[in-house]
Amino acid sequence: MMWSWIPSNWSLIWQLTWENAKLGVLPALYGLVISLPLGVIAARWRWFYPPTLTVINILYAVPSLALFIALIPAFGLTDTTVIIALTVFSLCVILPNVVAGLRAVPAAVTQAATAMGYGPLRRLVTVELPLAVPVILAGFRVGVVASISLASVGQLIGVSSLGYLFIDGLQRSFPTEIYVGLVLVIALALACDLIIVAVRRALTPWAAS
Amino acid sequence: MITFVEVTKRYQDGTVAVDALNLEVPAGQTMVLVGPSGCGKTTTLRMINRLVEPTQGAIFLDGTDIKDRAPAHLRRGIGYVIQQSGLFPHRTVQDNIATVPLLNGWPRKKARDRATELLTLVGLDQDLARRYPHQLSGGQQQRVGVARALAADPPVLLMDEPFSAVDPVVRASLQDQLLSLQAELRKTIVLVTHDIEEAIKVGDLVALYRPHGTLAQVAPPEQLLAAPADDYVAGFVGFDRGIRRLSFVTTDGLVLDASPVLPADATVAKALAAGQPWICVTDAERRPAGWVATVTLAAAPGDTPLGQVKTEPVGHAFTFGTDSLRAALDAAVLSPAGQAVGVDGDGRVLGVATFDQLRAAIQAADTRAVDSRAGDSAEARRR
Repeated sequence: MMWSWIPSNWSLIWQLTWENAKLGVLPALYGLVISLPLGVIAARWRWFYPPTLTVINILYAVPSLALFIALIPAFGLTDTTVIIALTVFSLCVILPNVVAGLRAVPAAVTQAATAMGYGPLRRLVTVELPLAVPVILAGFRVGVVASISLASVGQLIGVSSLGYLFIDGLQRSFPTEIYVGLVLVIALALACDLIIVAVRRALTPWAAS
Repeated sequence: MITFVEVTKRYQDGTVAVDALNLEVPAGQTMVLVGPSGCGKTTTLRMINRLVEPTQGAIFLDGTDIKDRAPAHLRRGIGYVIQQSGLFPHRTVQDNIATVPLLNGWPRKKARDRATELLTLVGLDQDLARRYPHQLSGGQQQRVGVARALAADPPVLLMDEPFSAVDPVVRASLQDQLLSLQAELRKTIVLVTHDIEEAIKVGDLVALYRPHGTLAQVAPPEQLLAAPADDYVAGFVGFDRGIRRLSFVTTDGLVLDASPVLPADATVAKALAAGQPWICVTDAERRPAGWVATVTLAAAPGDTPLGQVKTEPVGHAFTFGTDSLRAALDAAVLSPAGQAVGVDGDGRVLGVATFDQLRAAIQAADTRAVDSRAGDSAEARRR
């Protein structure tokens, strides 16, 4: 471990961390945005969910590197390729939670809402989705953490992330770089996770502790 | 007024939940739908706010066919209370109560003020306004459910087993609350329950269902107990209906006998001279002090005041004119003398009633009930 390497490469470390954060958070956000309408449809029309789930599981089984390579002809060696691939993976973990969250809304609550004169859309937006927030955000947490860790693989197709430190460290037989990369990936995932938990607490003051 | 005309609900699997139902719920009254599970009582209720659509027939609310009203608007004019309260877990108590006013476009301030008003009306503390539902007890949640249903002051209130999920003590207090609210608000209430006791307690009218969605009898509770239409109804209301129906008969018709009542300063000799097997001794305020059997007095000196003689406790007395014959009968059963002590509003003894006198009053009440039924059916024939 060569501690002096860290301060002398401070700006590189910062830049890589920032890029890795982007590659982790953006796909999870896109995944969330796509999951919401799909989840609503799957929760309402039950026949829609099983085939969707099958497709999703197949996509999730594809190795990340293989998916990157498959996207290269269309999007090149760019951030877009990595973001699209990671969005697909995020979608795979977030969508089941959206469906589970919506299905877990107590029947008595939806029935009461209908009986009080809520239309279907208003009920969805002001009652069902807010009640599903804790379960949806639990999926989002997994999506963010998984994307942050998978983003390093993007380095193999030349998209910059903390993965650079692993590859460079390996090629130069310089373990310090690898340790720093590892610690930063974990710290980044942990930090994002804590932020999401804080957001969830703020959004759901009503949840029983 | 809610009117069902030949309403049938048949589900896709062929099950008939409600079969050619004709029923009229008069405005300002409480109609209780009661029957075994699966008899169609809840389906009937849910057809009123169009949570369930009938297969055949029509339902009229104040003369308008409910099919001609947009469901969401119809529902905002009909309060709805369900068993598990159905409160929104993510909204505070006051926002839950304010739901329908807000849907109707009231300003938030006005809706919240109304919510506070309703908390008081259903007997809850103002401090609960900012709590979330999970922080309340089951009974409190149920009260909030009632407050929410009443928030926009709808003329009609539907209650689906509203008190089934709480313990018996809380249930009784919620029922009492409903009765006092109803005395003040005079809503048209349709309440579903499987508990015949609840039906008899809170209903102005009781509609008793047979299995498979037909009605066995629609009548005021006292009539259901006194004159069940058939064996099914008699069986459903229970073997002690003879005693329970006495809850609806007042004690005004009872003849009280003052001769076995003596003050504490009367002597044993006077008690023996009264020629009664038991003497009810009263204190200086003329309140009942105890019973004494005259056979036990024979050994005592004739000039002993009754106040110094050992007496047996009265148990409870009944208030003449206010309490029901059931209370009077209970007082007689619990009394060592087998006689009920009748008191006035201030608790002063008016006289006592024996089983014979109670029986005479019950028979007189039955004769009146039969007469009024004959009158009802004569009226029905004229229509």
